[in-house]
Amino acid sequence: MRPLEFLRLSWRSIRGHKLRSSLTTLGVIIGVAAVIAFVTLGASLQAGIIGDISPDDQRNLYGWAAEPDAEGGPLAGAQPVFSQHDLEELSDREDVEAAYGYATIQTQAISNGDEQVPQGDGLIAAGPSYIREDDLREGRQFEMNESEAVINPAAAEQFEENVTVGDELTLTILGGQQTTVTVVGITDTSEGLSPFEGFETAPRVYVPTDPFYAEQAAGLGFGGDGGDQARYLAIVVEAESADDRAVERARESATSYLQSEQSDASDLLGDDLEVRLQTSTELLQQLQDVLDLLQNFIVGIAAISLLVGSIGIANIMLVSVTERTREIGIMKAVGAQNRDVLGLFLSEAVILGTVGAIFGTAVGLLAGYLGAWYIDLPLVYPYEYVALAIVVGVVVGILSGLYPAWRAARTDPIDALRYE
Amino acid sequence: MKTGETAVELIDVRKTYRVGEPVHALDGVSLEVPRGSYTAIMGPSGSGKSTLMNLVGCLDTPTEGEVVVGGREVGSLGDRERTRLRGTEVGFVFQTFNLMPRLNAVENVALPQLFQGVGRAERRERARKLLERVGLADREEHLPNELSGGQRQRVALARALVNDPAIVLADEPSGNLDTDTEAEILDLFDEFHEGGTTMLVVTHERHVAERADRIVHLLDGKIERIEELDGGSTTDESGTEAST
Ligand SMILES: Nc1ncnc2c1ncn2[C@@H]1O[C@H](COP(=O)(O)OP(=O)(O)O)[C@@H](O)[C@H]1O
Ligand SMILES: [Mg+2]
Repeated sequence: MRPLEFLRLSWRSIRGHKLRSSLTTLGVIIGVAAVIAFVTLGASLQAGIIGDISPDDQRNLYGWAAEPDAEGGPLAGAQPVFSQHDLEELSDREDVEAAYGYATIQTQAISNGDEQVPQGDGLIAAGPSYIREDDLREGRQFEMNESEAVINPAAAEQFEENVTVGDELTLTILGGQQTTVTVVGITDTSEGLSPFEGFETAPRVYVPTDPFYAEQAAGLGFGGDGGDQARYLAIVVEAESADDRAVERARESATSYLQSEQSDASDLLGDDLEVRLQTSTELLQQLQDVLDLLQNFIVGIAAISLLVGSIGIANIMLVSVTERTREIGIMKAVGAQNRDVLGLFLSEAVILGTVGAIFGTAVGLLAGYLGAWYIDLPLVYPYEYVALAIVVGVVVGILSGLYPAWRAARTDPIDALRYE
Repeated sequence: MKTGETAVELIDVRKTYRVGEPVHALDGVSLEVPRGSYTAIMGPSGSGKSTLMNLVGCLDTPTEGEVVVGGREVGSLGDRERTRLRGTEVGFVFQTFNLMPRLNAVENVALPQLFQGVGRAERRERARKLLERVGLADREEHLPNELSGGQRQRVALARALVNDPAIVLADEPSGNLDTDTEAEILDLFDEFHEGGTTMLVVTHERHVAERADRIVHLLDGKIERIEELDGGSTTDESGTEAST
């Protein structure tokens, strides 16, 4: 007997018990749907975050100093230890392309002409190359020692009249001081440009650390020797290329300098603080780990659901074998081999498992996409998981159908024909 | 047509069930069923009729002796071969019809060929022809529960014939039918018998048995006598039995 004939006959008997069959597959549907929904969501989330790391970002090392056991995301437990002098020394080193400070400056408001909007944070001071060329939609990077700014679309659009390149903005810094900047560029994304900022969409204004951070930090301590003595909480060290080895060389070079006697930072590091320099990918790994943990948890629940689903199928198949004892007797009387009967019941279980997996996949994809759409993530199609789900459905069907089918196959036709 | 003279032959067959006290359901039965013959088996309840049918139908093997169906000795065959022999050489007609409830008439008739690996189109074609011959050309797509008792038994008869078997075994084929329908079915049996089909019918009703060429009377697992109906003569078979 051919496989297609098995399937045709089995499909018949499944259709003969529509409600029962649907209920039987529910366990498989729920299990598969849970996995697929979460995998879709996870993949979309991952794409939404990892996808934001441009290849150019891969050459950046994000650094801060913190106690060795400080846990959390970027900048957790960071202390301001890096001086302008340190950054200049770092920039001069071989293997390091550039190094600059990174700081967020507390603001009150931003005005564009007569229009003023409140803004508490989102003024970011960094080096010119923090804005990468390919992140710019219009204009150019800001230059050091100039009152220039690059803004993101969200910042540009928050005014009634969109800000364009060449416009002047007035920034009210916390404390009341006002400065005017000329907008020289607009980025193409309103999401954060580095893990320091986070990746959420928000209005942001990027300015050079000098004068903005240097001035603000001046006179706060460490000798009070003007802007030169400003200390940075966070730094960015650029390697010569995004190549793993180049990044590693830059990291070693920068770390050895910062921890050596020559650096200003070393004075403040003491025994308690340690310099950390990590790439975006490394920083995101932590988030990824949490995501993986959650995913494993869901997969565990799904596995239990699938197990329950298999038991459900096995149970229904056993009932079905008993119910159809007479049919088995008839088939054997007219020449069905044991393997034919086995195949028939097995394919019935496999159909139940597979149909469950297909419906589960559909429900899971829908849920995953709705979720991804709701939290505004790019949709990722986890094809390999869809294929895997179908395979799981087939396997669940085989495993749960094997014993009932074997029972059916060894039914004695004489007894079966007498069965009422 | 099948070759050879004998469709089925039983040689000194014993069937003993051992559930506590051994029960000799068949106790030294020898019987030859020639091709194209029409034999009826009669006997009181417990005389061994069903046991005999199971052996001839290759559903069971004898404890002792030989059962030869379509030229092959059933006891010497493995389960697979025996199933194959049953599928190709035996056609069953049951008292309770025993049709597959979810298959329509054509599919029921075609079922034995499905297990012989015959293709779908060919199966349907053959099944349709047989349904036409039993007078159900207009009921092809009906499910068993949409057919009357007589119609169901016609479907069962068509199914029994679909593999062109050496013998058709009917166990009380009209037991669940009213008198008129019974006559129709028995007429069909006659018709196929005249066409060359070998028939073996178990019945406890004299008028059903009388359709046959001869009646084999069973009693306590033994052939009591064989009654030839052509000339109306009765042969006492006890002489040829391996007497105890
Ligand atoms: N599977 C079995 N196990 C034990 N005894 C059986 C079995 N089948 C039949 N018998 C016994 O064998 C004898 C013949 O039974 P059976 O062939 O069914 O007779 P009939 O069909 O003529 O009524 C009876 O005594 C019955 O109890
Ligand atoms: Mg009986």
